[in-house]
Amino acid sequence: MSPMKLCVPGERLCSTEDCIPGNGTYLRHGSIFASLAGYVLRKNEGEELPVISVVRETEAQLLPDVGAIVTCKVTSINPRFAKVHILYVGSTPLKDRFRGTIRREDVRATEKDKVETYKSFRPGDIVLAKVISLGDVQSNYLLTTAENELGVVVAHSEAGAQMVPISWCEMQCPRTHAKEFRKVARVQPEYLQA
Amino acid sequence: MDTIHACFKEKIGEVLLPGDVFSFRLPESGDGSIKSEKIICGPGLRRNGEEVRVCKSGILRHKQPNMYWIDSQQRRYVPAKGESVIGIVTTKSGDVFKVDVGGSEQASLSYLAFEGATKRNRPNVQVGDLVYGQFTIANKDMEPELVCIDSCGRANGMGVFGADGLLFKVSLGLVRRLLAPQSEIIKDLEKIFPFELVVGMNGRVWVKAKTVQQTLIVTNLLETSENMTSQQRQTLFKRVAEGSL
Repeated sequence: MSPMKLCVPGERLCSTEDCIPGNGTYLRHGSIFASLAGYVLRKNEGEELPVISVVRETEAQLLPDVGAIVTCKVTSINPRFAKVHILYVGSTPLKDRFRGTIRREDVRATEKDKVETYKSFRPGDIVLAKVISLGDVQSNYLLTTAENELGVVVAHSEAGAQMVPISWCEMQCPRTHAKEFRKVARVQPEYLQA
Repeated sequence: MDTIHACFKEKIGEVLLPGDVFSFRLPESGDGSIKSEKIICGPGLRRNGEEVRVCKSGILRHKQPNMYWIDSQQRRYVPAKGESVIGIVTTKSGDVFKVDVGGSEQASLSYLAFEGATKRNRPNVQVGDLVYGQFTIANKDMEPELVCIDSCGRANGMGVFGADGLLFKVSLGLVRRLLAPQSEIIKDLEKIFPFELVVGMNGRVWVKAKTVQQTLIVTNLLETSENMTSQQRQTLFKRVAEGSL
């Protein structure tokens, strides 16, 4: 591929007569300007004019969308919510870690006010969650685990061993036999590896 | 053939170090069946598969019928749920006070967690006040939370205190001895002169007596009784009682 041109937001790329504006561009005064910083990509669509777009990286990144199931890791907990880093969207890993929040009322579907974050998640747990909102500029993705298939998948006990789920709200450490509370996900049998 | 109780009994009252292991085989009775014994591991002991490991250095103690724990001496306090502590109010931000309890993080105390406090009727708490409260949330992942009421909503001796008097720090082992039901140290001290005493499980003790001199005497006696045997302590208290009277 020929070396691609770099551009910054506000840079004039070409006029409307040459190309059709695509992703990462906007139209102003009869010219096409870039709105993202990245590489300029020109695609030929056939008989119509080529589509010009600006991409951050050469491959398009998969972004979490509303309703997508994501895999995330809990970073900190609070009596009101838990902060997570989103690692995977579906089964594709993400290059950057997006930040998400699971509010206390979104942890369970029933008895929402009796939820204690300390008994549902701990820092370091791997959680399956669903995106309910993209949030605005400053806030993170809003996630929920209020379904049977969502919740904690992998957790480590205080002794450091990986715990085994025994019910939807408890996990047990195989070394010390101590039980700890978590909101456990009911993983479908076909996804479990023996 | 060692039974579980026999392994522990040898070591009751001995000093153990972290890493000491108790491993045992289950005893077999005459007809070949295995008898199971249950023991409760207290603080300082941890089960690791088929053996019990010591996690803290200290003396092994035993309580009937089957409880064992390590009595360790430390000065650094780690917040635990349900413990009553003395805290110092450091900041007032909105609806929440930040209280220093001597742990790694400051605890938060809501202004509604006092007896008779409502949104209109705020408690009179200033920065620098001493509060005696209980932990509702105290674990290593979250900021600890204090309350000054019990589950029924009554103060029960908790709240702001200490207009005068002296606050000082002792080790956690001494605090546990002071809070024991029939504490000898307290009984001996009562005979000398009357005073007010508040003991927090975070190692902080507040004392107030009639005069400043008496307050300082009580403070010094409490601090020195940490490293004395009961014999030495009683002779010292006797000397002080004769000297002050």
